[in-house]
Amino acid sequence: MKQEISALMDGELFEDEAEVLLGKLKRQPDGSRDWATYHLIGDVLRQPEHIRCGFTESFHRRLQAEPTILAPRQHKPQRVKHYALSAVASVMALALVAWLSMQIGNEPAVQMANIQQKNAVRPAAYQVNDYLMAHQEFSPSADVQGAATFIHTVAAKQ
Amino acid sequence: MKRVILKGFLPGTLLLLLGMVSAVADPLLDDADWLRTMAFAAHQTNYSGIFIYQAGGRVEMSRITHLIDRQGEHERLQGLEGPRREIIRHNDRVWMFVGDKKVKFGKRHVRRTFPALLPEQILTLKESYTVTQEEEDRVADHHAHTIRFQPKDTLRYARKMWAHSDSGLLLKAVVLDEHNKVIEQYAFSQLQIGGKIDRKWVPDSESETEEITVREHLSPLPQANVESLSSGWQVDGIPAGFKKIIEMRRTLAHRESPVVQIVFSDGLAALSVFIEQLGEVEHPRLGLSSHGAVHVYRKLIDGMYVTVVGELPPRSVLQVAESVRYAGMPYE
Repeated sequence: MKQEISALMDGELFEDEAEVLLGKLKRQPDGSRDWATYHLIGDVLRQPEHIRCGFTESFHRRLQAEPTILAPRQHKPQRVKHYALSAVASVMALALVAWLSMQIGNEPAVQMANIQQKNAVRPAAYQVNDYLMAHQEFSPSADVQGAATFIHTVAAKQ
Repeated sequence: MKRVILKGFLPGTLLLLLGMVSAVADPLLDDADWLRTMAFAAHQTNYSGIFIYQAGGRVEMSRITHLIDRQGEHERLQGLEGPRREIIRHNDRVWMFVGDKKVKFGKRHVRRTFPALLPEQILTLKESYTVTQEEEDRVADHHAHTIRFQPKDTLRYARKMWAHSDSGLLLKAVVLDEHNKVIEQYAFSQLQIGGKIDRKWVPDSESETEEITVREHLSPLPQANVESLSSGWQVDGIPAGFKKIIEMRRTLAHRESPVVQIVFSDGLAALSVFIEQLGEVEHPRLGLSSHGAVHVYRKLIDGMYVTVVGELPPRSVLQVAESVRYAGMPYE
């Protein structure tokens, strides 16, 4: 459940999986509490300057008093599926960074947030041919040349 | 047969046909009309031949085949040296093959909804180029008329074109810079116009195109949505004589996010400005790259990738790229 919530927050669940989980969350108060807690962690990471001191300390206390994030997984490793590891790691990282940010200010939190954001980007390689093809559709000189204009795309690179 | 071929054509294209007939019949006709004749012939002629392409220090030999039938246009360009490099076009769909098994996809995203060379474009052309007919010649054993497009400034290339005297088909083309140095050229060394041409690679119907796709593990990308719009991006540095043809939002192959494309033309050369959001590109390759007479310049402007593509001298492409700015509504 916790892995699933974490995965949902990371955007790693498929739509149908997410819907099933959200249904469960509505019915189970425990799940809703985890959901809220994970979001709190995220909020702390993103905007630590907006978190008041008293809140941070009480949150810190609660976090320490609540080892549920890590412990159940250590006790039941056989139930942790391989795909869930990244979710575990990210929850651990979030907890660690939340703790660090309270110890030494918000700088590491910002760095971690940046790294996470970068990893989230789905890269697509730049292919000049795509632009050449898209351009040629509208070129009068390409129109006159017919298939010969494709030579720019097919020709060996200079 | 003639009726079948002409079915579905825009009236403007019919005018081109008339233009072609009279251009061939009357050598005193406006020289610029040769361009329309050549464009018409390029789409409406069955031909197959070997052609030599030369740019910089490179020479490439390819076979080009073009067929027109009830399904429309079929075009094939095969590199004849080295690993397999081939492009096949069926109307608006383009497949590209590189290497033995490895396949790359490309496609023509837009079915041309207008004849590329409208009369007003011929007028535009004359603002920037002096068009003259030069000596008659022979190319690949075919009689040819020679037309030269000499620019009135140094912002664009000069072109010399050899058109088949009977059909109007382009047999040879040379792109020259301001010092009359050849930037790129190509010519058919052997060419068969009409007659019996191998058409084993042409599908019998649209459904068969799908079958070929499945069999060869190709997947033509879905038809792109093209949406005309005013993007809010401004291009101030376009060379004189260039006019905006279209501004749209479209998808390109290999990426999910839409791209803004603004196209300008001086009636002969064209210039595309692509603008897209950052974060789509793993290894941003910025700067200038050359592909014969086509130059591509890519840079970051206001956190967006701007890619300028044009068959223009590098400095014109650079000038355009440097002038791109955001002036309008927020980019969505």
